[in-house]
Amino acid sequence: MHESMREPIVRLSNVTKRIGSRTIIDQLTLDVPPGEVFGFLGPNGSGKTTTIRMMVGLMRLTSGEITIRGHRISNEYEKAIRHVGAIVENPEMYKYLSGYDNLLHYARMFPGTPRQRIDEVVELTGMGARIHDKVKTYSLGMRQRLGVAQAILHKPSLLILDEPTNGLDPAGIRELRDYLRRLASEEGTSVFVSSHLLSEMELMCDRVAIIQAGKLIDVRQINAGAQGQAVQVAFEVDQPMEATLLLADLQAAHEGSRLLLTVEREDIPQINARLVAAGIKVYGIRSHTKSLEDQFLEVTGGEQIV
Amino acid sequence: MFDFIQLIRNENMKIYRRPRTWVMLGILLVLTLAPSVLMMTLPDAGPDSMWSAFPVGMAIGFFLVTIYSVVVAAETVAGEFSTGTIKLLMIRPWSRSKILLSKYVSVVLFSLLFLLILFVWNYLTTWLMFGGDPTYRVGADNRSPLSYYMLQSVYKYISLLMVVTLSFLISTVFRSGSFAIGLAMFMLFAGQGISSLFMMLGQKWAKYLLFLHMDVSRYLDESVIRIGELGEFTLSFSLTVLAVYYVVFIALTWYIFNKRDIAT
Repeated sequence: MHESMREPIVRLSNVTKRIGSRTIIDQLTLDVPPGEVFGFLGPNGSGKTTTIRMMVGLMRLTSGEITIRGHRISNEYEKAIRHVGAIVENPEMYKYLSGYDNLLHYARMFPGTPRQRIDEVVELTGMGARIHDKVKTYSLGMRQRLGVAQAILHKPSLLILDEPTNGLDPAGIRELRDYLRRLASEEGTSVFVSSHLLSEMELMCDRVAIIQAGKLIDVRQINAGAQGQAVQVAFEVDQPMEATLLLADLQAAHEGSRLLLTVEREDIPQINARLVAAGIKVYGIRSHTKSLEDQFLEVTGGEQIV
Repeated sequence: MFDFIQLIRNENMKIYRRPRTWVMLGILLVLTLAPSVLMMTLPDAGPDSMWSAFPVGMAIGFFLVTIYSVVVAAETVAGEFSTGTIKLLMIRPWSRSKILLSKYVSVVLFSLLFLLILFVWNYLTTWLMFGGDPTYRVGADNRSPLSYYMLQSVYKYISLLMVVTLSFLISTVFRSGSFAIGLAMFMLFAGQGISSLFMMLGQKWAKYLLFLHMDVSRYLDESVIRIGELGEFTLSFSLTVLAVYYVVFIALTWYIFNKRDIAT
């Protein structure tokens, strides 16, 4: 499929936000195609939340335009926002209501949402019987689940989540990650996640945009292991010197007991076979992709909040 | 239209699912009953009919309903801002104007409901305790007490609506519930004092001051009210002045709510 042929779910073009003389967001342009998990990465104060607030209509744009499924947020707000489910910052709910009543509240705002859909999202987010307790008794993790539940209630085609893993335990984070991936691949939902946690984004997203001081610095594909892309591989062997000579054609280098080379992913088994055939013992193979953190620090120059 | 009712149901849920509302109701019922109970215990010269007790209960009750409505109006918008729930509320396929309208309507419904409860409760309790008096007449044009006090409630409701609308405005502009409550209460109590201050200055425009027209129930007993040097006011003049203020309050509230960025 040609990525360029697909109509993007959300499109930001030259989005700018100025408050007074300060430019908070500067000429931001990006597209998110259907079914993509898109990461929005930046240090605190870089403008992630402001961008999200503009995408959901809480803040107005100074200039530029945001369209969601072809509807401009500036003059077709109700049509555009219908396709969006979101958590903006913390999932703040009505504490004096039960989780269920909170969901009922939002379900009523989307005419035609059947009651069974509430039970469905409760099931999906694993809230269980606690859904009938008052929200004030919930842990942060439970609130986060409830936040996701309200966001997917109307089956949006764009899910916007602001720091969704805040307050989740590792199991919860994993669950959310798997769920978002499933949502993207099975239902074609686009997911727009912001985070300052680099490792998190690496596991969750297809593409990541890096923003700093309101400017888009870089957009990169995450799945570096994809076909045709070279990866750095480390073989742990018993005779690194011999192995280096053996694979001289691949510009192998060694470092301690590790043999380092840059090859295409598909070639790894063959190389392994060559090593074994030459009587070299292979204890481990690890493809070493440059982590997003390295990339992030590289592009932002390790700079702090500006 | 049916869909919009869903928004009002939401706002109602947020008012009536709070224990606060039921505490308010309890206090209203008890305090309205209190003067009747006191009159009952008087050793001699107790009231001869319910119509001596009923107005006292109404006066106390109306005061409470006004305060409650101001509190609910102040909280409905400012509360969503202070808890941050405004964000999840606004990102739905509804314009800001309609969401604000659903809030305003729910506040008005709340005040009407409480007023109705007050009237019925006060009527029943005083009637049960002291009994009716079919010959009793009241007011400038000798009305039956029931029609007089019903009309009085309508007139007083107009001033309640003004204070509540002001509270709603302040709550929206400053996003502070306590400030809205405070200022609305101040207007309720200090309005008369401020007005006389302006009257002393003898300014011509002072006759358009909101405070001078707040209590239209006075026209039940006199068709024309003379206020110092400012001349004579009639009911229609007062209602016109109030209507202008009302439109300005509402327009300002909606304009500001639509324009503002939500950055809680």
